[in-house]
Amino acid sequence: MSDTPVLETRGLGRRFGGLEAVSDVSFSVPRGEILGVIGPNGAGKSTFINLVTGHVRPSAGSVHVNGVDVTGAKPWKIAKLRVARTFQIVKPFRGMTVRENVAVGVLYGPHRATSMSKALARADEVLADVGLADSTDRAPAELSTADARRLELAKALALDPQLLLLDEVMAGLRYNEIEPSLELLRRLRDQGLTIIVVEHVMKAIREVSDQILVMHQGRVLTSGDPDDVLSDPRVIEAYLGKRYADRQASERDV
Amino acid sequence: MSDLNETAVEQRTPRPVEAPWHRFLPWGALIVLMLAMLGLQSQLYVGQERTVTTILMFVALAQAWNIIGGFTGYACFGQVVFFGIGGYATAVMMVHLHVSFWLALSLSGVGAAVFGAVIGLPLLRLKGHYFAIATLGVAEGMRELVTNLPRLTGGGAGITVPTVGEDATTAYLGNDGFYLLFLAIAGLAVATALLISRSRFGFALRAIHQDEDAAAAMGINTTRAKVLAFSLSGLLTGLVGATYAFQQVVIFPDRLFDVEITVLMVVMVVIGGSGTVLGPLLGAVGLQFLSEYLRNHYTNAHTFILGAIIIVAVIFLPQGLVNYVREARHSGNFSLLANVRRFRL
Repeated sequence: MSDTPVLETRGLGRRFGGLEAVSDVSFSVPRGEILGVIGPNGAGKSTFINLVTGHVRPSAGSVHVNGVDVTGAKPWKIAKLRVARTFQIVKPFRGMTVRENVAVGVLYGPHRATSMSKALARADEVLADVGLADSTDRAPAELSTADARRLELAKALALDPQLLLLDEVMAGLRYNEIEPSLELLRRLRDQGLTIIVVEHVMKAIREVSDQILVMHQGRVLTSGDPDDVLSDPRVIEAYLGKRYADRQASERDV
Repeated sequence: MSDLNETAVEQRTPRPVEAPWHRFLPWGALIVLMLAMLGLQSQLYVGQERTVTTILMFVALAQAWNIIGGFTGYACFGQVVFFGIGGYATAVMMVHLHVSFWLALSLSGVGAAVFGAVIGLPLLRLKGHYFAIATLGVAEGMRELVTNLPRLTGGGAGITVPTVGEDATTAYLGNDGFYLLFLAIAGLAVATALLISRSRFGFALRAIHQDEDAAAAMGINTTRAKVLAFSLSGLLTGLVGATYAFQQVVIFPDRLFDVEITVLMVVMVVIGGSGTVLGPLLGAVGLQFLSEYLRNHYTNAHTFILGAIIIVAVIFLPQGLVNYVREARHSGNFSLLANVRRFRL
């Protein structure tokens, strides 16, 4: 069991008309690690998450969760396998309180709560975990950007996931708000969760990731140890252009 | 400002998730209301009894539309198709198969529910305006179909449900009987909405209303929940249509599939507060009363005045009366002007 990767993709690809948003992505995530996924805008990071969670159907390749082929399965079926995600643009259920938002995941998640009161009580625990204990009765619209991101995370955690896919949960956060989020991710990993973090905030991802995977134009450019990957000239080139990468390289030689 | 709030929050004792009496309050209110309506019956003149019967019918219809249009957020503009199917199924079964009204009523309800599931599977893939137009098309198409099957349905000339003589399978219920039957169906519809609003299923529908991708990511089988909601909504509407057909004795396709019936359901729910239990109830009662009052006092201008009132209501309370009161109590701001501004009208 433990040697089966939580998530494995083989030759995963998706074409939108003439655009190959994701192509030939093959990799696996070891259990209990944080994998950072980076890449310039349009690299296919969000599509990759959508392919794993079933929100977009792959046009090539396969997705395996705990060794089980889930290619093309509906999102709600994948959620029941304890695979949870957040959305890049937060999607709170307006018209429900913060507590009820989280309770939805407890009610419909892998361990269907037996009663409404148990679900709401469990939602309170999850909200306390992410630091939203004081906002349980509020409407999602009343939350700050940072708290709205925390709610998005709490909704995912309500599923009691073994694999968590986070699509830019730190976007729009102030510097002092990022550190508590990183702390939370580390704590979750230490509890045994496997986490895939798609992020633009480079400093955050370098600090928190056990491994980093770089996507560029829909393909995997490279992957490995964060420091190695981030100093790789190909990665610098993908982000900042060839001329910048060349200049960096020549400066290093001098 | 946030610093001030934080100290206040820390001192606040944790509130119980839900007070037990809060759970039973709406059920108690529903029972009291049903008993009051039973008691009211003997106090009414014949004309008044008919008016209240119509109000009860619209309470049931509004609440049925609320399940798919309010809770689930799929604005169905062809809801009358279930009404027509219920009515025609009952009439055809009583005329051609000589079954009792009660059997026909039950089968019509089931038939409408099945029809809802069958058309729901493809149609509920559409969203917003597309769903509204597609359902409107289904209702118009069904009216044409019924009109063009004269041997079965009597066509445009209508069909007469046997109520007297040897052909009558069930004795006509009369004003008192239909008052009670519509009261029972209205009660059933309100109870269904109440059950949904507090259940797991209700959470699924409300989540789907807000965002289907997010709902699916939470483990909700969105297709099943939507089809079930549509089917349930069809069942209740079908029961009303079946009872209406028997009450009218002679039914015509143009009346049973009248788009005005759908429009009334939508307006009642929207003005009362869609996605709430109380809203459609208040909307149906309020609008029917108002309509009746205007008809009696301003015979010539009554639709004009009613239309004007609806427009004003929608401008000032775009989210419906019940939602407005709920939000205003939460924020402490009861200003109607602020409400209009909030929705940028």
